[in-house]
Amino acid sequence: MTPGASASEAASEGGALDSEGILFEASGLHKSFGGVRAVRDVSVKIPASGVFAIIGPNGAGKSTLLNLMSGLYQPDAGTMRFDGVDLVGLPAHRRVRLGLARTFQKIRLFRQLSVLDNVVAGFHVHHAIPAWQYVVHAGAFARDHVRCRDEALALLAFVGLERRASVPAASLAYGEQRMLELARALATRPRLLLIDEPAAGLNAAEVEKLLDRIVALRARRVAVVVVEHNMDLVMQVADHVLVMDYGQVLFEGSPAEVQKSPAVIAAYLGA
Amino acid sequence: MSNLNNEALAGPLARIRLSRRSWFLIAALAIAVTPLVFQDSYWRTNLIICALNVMLAIGLDFILGYAGQLNLGHSAFYGIGAYASTLLIMQLGVPFWAAFVLAMALAGVAGMALSIFAVRLRGHYLAIASLGFAVIVHQVLINWISLTQGPLGIYAIRPPPPIALPGLPVISFGNPANMFYLVAGFALLFYLLLQQLVRSPIGDTLTAIREDEVSAASLGINFTVWKVFAFGVGSAIAGAAGAFYAAFVGTLVPDAFIITESFTILAMVIVGGMGTLIGPVWGAILLTLLPEMLRGFGDLRLVLYGLALTLVVLFMPGGIVQAAHILRARLGRLLVRPPTGAAQP
Amino acid sequence: MLTVALQQGINGLVFGSLYVLVALGLTLIYGVLVQINFAHADVVTIGAFAAYFFTFAFGGNYLVSIAVALVIGGALGWLINAAIFAPLRERGSELLPLIATIGVSILLQNAMLIWFGPIPYPFDSPYSNEVIRLWGGTFITWQNLIIIVVSTLTIALLYAFMKFTFMGKALRAVAQDRETAALMGINPSQLIMLTFVIASALAGMGGAMLGPILVLTPFAGTTVIVKAFAIVIIGGFGNVEGTIIAGLLVGLIESYTTQLVNPGLIDIVVFSLLLLMLAFRPTGLIAEKREENV
Repeated sequence: MTPGASASEAASEGGALDSEGILFEASGLHKSFGGVRAVRDVSVKIPASGVFAIIGPNGAGKSTLLNLMSGLYQPDAGTMRFDGVDLVGLPAHRRVRLGLARTFQKIRLFRQLSVLDNVVAGFHVHHAIPAWQYVVHAGAFARDHVRCRDEALALLAFVGLERRASVPAASLAYGEQRMLELARALATRPRLLLIDEPAAGLNAAEVEKLLDRIVALRARRVAVVVVEHNMDLVMQVADHVLVMDYGQVLFEGSPAEVQKSPAVIAAYLGA
Repeated sequence: MSNLNNEALAGPLARIRLSRRSWFLIAALAIAVTPLVFQDSYWRTNLIICALNVMLAIGLDFILGYAGQLNLGHSAFYGIGAYASTLLIMQLGVPFWAAFVLAMALAGVAGMALSIFAVRLRGHYLAIASLGFAVIVHQVLINWISLTQGPLGIYAIRPPPPIALPGLPVISFGNPANMFYLVAGFALLFYLLLQQLVRSPIGDTLTAIREDEVSAASLGINFTVWKVFAFGVGSAIAGAAGAFYAAFVGTLVPDAFIITESFTILAMVIVGGMGTLIGPVWGAILLTLLPEMLRGFGDLRLVLYGLALTLVVLFMPGGIVQAAHILRARLGRLLVRPPTGAAQP
Repeated sequence: MLTVALQQGINGLVFGSLYVLVALGLTLIYGVLVQINFAHADVVTIGAFAAYFFTFAFGGNYLVSIAVALVIGGALGWLINAAIFAPLRERGSELLPLIATIGVSILLQNAMLIWFGPIPYPFDSPYSNEVIRLWGGTFITWQNLIIIVVSTLTIALLYAFMKFTFMGKALRAVAQDRETAALMGINPSQLIMLTFVIASALAGMGGAMLGPILVLTPFAGTTVIVKAFAIVIIGGFGNVEGTIIAGLLVGLIESYTTQLVNPGLIDIVVFSLLLLMLAFRPTGLIAEKREENV
């Protein structure tokens, strides 16, 4: 497998793409900052279920790619479609309504809000309240309020934070904050969740717990894209792996194939 | 300190938690009784100014404390409301209440325009833009003499028309007590409106935007729309205050809306406790009435504002509301000894 | 016609260089602290009053009073930083320090109002009235000449300091990346204090020179400060070269506009320009764009 081979060649060589269909596809993405070409001619197809990992040495362009997918940056060139909808030019907040959510590498919680309120904030796109009831709080308002609380508590239980619901988010330990971010992103009821370098700063036990939750997402029919620069972590849960280097796609395939690829090994060792 | 521990220590004080309805009744009662207590016309004037300041402060708190937008130009919307309603009534013969609504709408639109214009600006840039906007509005009011009479001002502005309800004596608003009821009544109304908005998911949305815009966008929040919304609501309320101001004071000069006015409203919000809605109410009351009570101090009034603002920011950034919480917790601890074997953090 | 144009140009340069002195202080503080000091205006006013009292109450030389104002300005800057910005730095809030300086500004202005009263003080420097004839029929008062010379010298010195000395480079390092600068052995707190002192000294000096040509009341500083904000934005917050160019530009624009339109409209013109700048190039004419790092 030569470096820079396209995704389709990789797929035909035996990468285990899920047969349920492609949820997100991008083709020929380019993004530069000043003179630096962070992402060059990247094409990717992400299936509707399973865990898709994007790995590569530092500076490979993984986070940039994620930011292009979530809408934080707009591409200089290329196309992107989510479930058939053209994403190019669509701002980040609109993509959430389509079912695309993300977490951040640097934790960005609403520090002054409680743990529960952070998750409730994630229900923004799912409220079912007629406009006038925002002023006069009647039936639909009350029902929505109860439903959001219950769902938020359930999500907190999913990440193991249900006992910390009323605590201010700033007082959580770092590992707990990561899990809260996960719960909050899940509140948007995504079909595809982008997770940016989740293991950074976590100890071994916290990483285990995180990976466990990511696997559990499969049962909830949430496809996951994980960006990580630590290869070992991701190998445990990924169904399919995309390796990036210098802003380009280096290799694509199953975890096993990636581990054996000489090009990938060279990229990591040489970096 | 977990909530559990706090409750155990606060004891009986914690159980004194009035429902929202009770607070509303208390407020309404206070408003009803106040003019009866203060019969003196000087004090009644101050109370009306106080009510106007409450309106201005809660409007600014919605923009600054909840949506997190550093708006230093609130005086501009006050002025736009005052001049718009006055000119509509006196030049175009529009009836008072119609002019009132139009003035609110105009002030609201101006607020939204500023917000849209400044949508990409954060923190300091927005502060300067809003300041620049206020300066421009003030200068326009001074220089567009054919419209506003400039520094000479507009005179003989009439109070709102009397209301005649069947079977009751005619309610005339030339009477300061009635004017107070009107203005304070509207202040209470606006307060309730904002409180309801804040307790709804809109409150969560605005807080999210205030805390972290990018994060909020990742949850589907279109922060531009909501910032504009907050600005529109807050500035419309300021416009209402302006309409009442003109109708009460009877004369209108551009210097009533100089940018220092923005700073005094800001002081009321911060000293009261920004982002709490009730805090700015207390801040407005305190900073309007206290300097009057220390009557001999005249010019020291503004010195006190500056001092209060600086000290609050340095030592008690949550303002009166924060001070009240601390006091309540301390008082609670004095009254109740922790039960033996109580949970320790 | 040309005479008038040239004369206005000279006047524009005079005011422009004073605006630059005041604006530089703001931009330096912003560059290092990412904070706006609203009390900057009042340092200018206090500088003007200090110069006034030194010259007229104390009987000192006007030129020396400029130095006195410089020292007092610097001292005030030290005080403001020590009392407000340093303690608030740990809290990490972006808005609180700004609001605190608004409080200080209100306090200072109104305290001055009580002490000095609202009636303008007649600040006639001994140099205000003698003129030097220049080419083309234009003239310049000694006062204005002093202003231009002193300002230019000061600005040039500052610029050289920033570009060529170790301290200056350290200052720029702290402005760009405080943490890394600290790792390099630079003490950010000391440098921030130094910045404040320099910035406020410049403001005080500007006030001393503005005193004779503006109306000296407790609000003298505010008339200048709002234009200084406009200049800092046009030039780019934290950008020294940009501020210098923008300051001279604003001075010139103002000078030429007075001839053509009602003075009351000048503020509208300048501020509309400001708002347009903010709308289209909030980072200033010369500054580069920086992507936010998530």
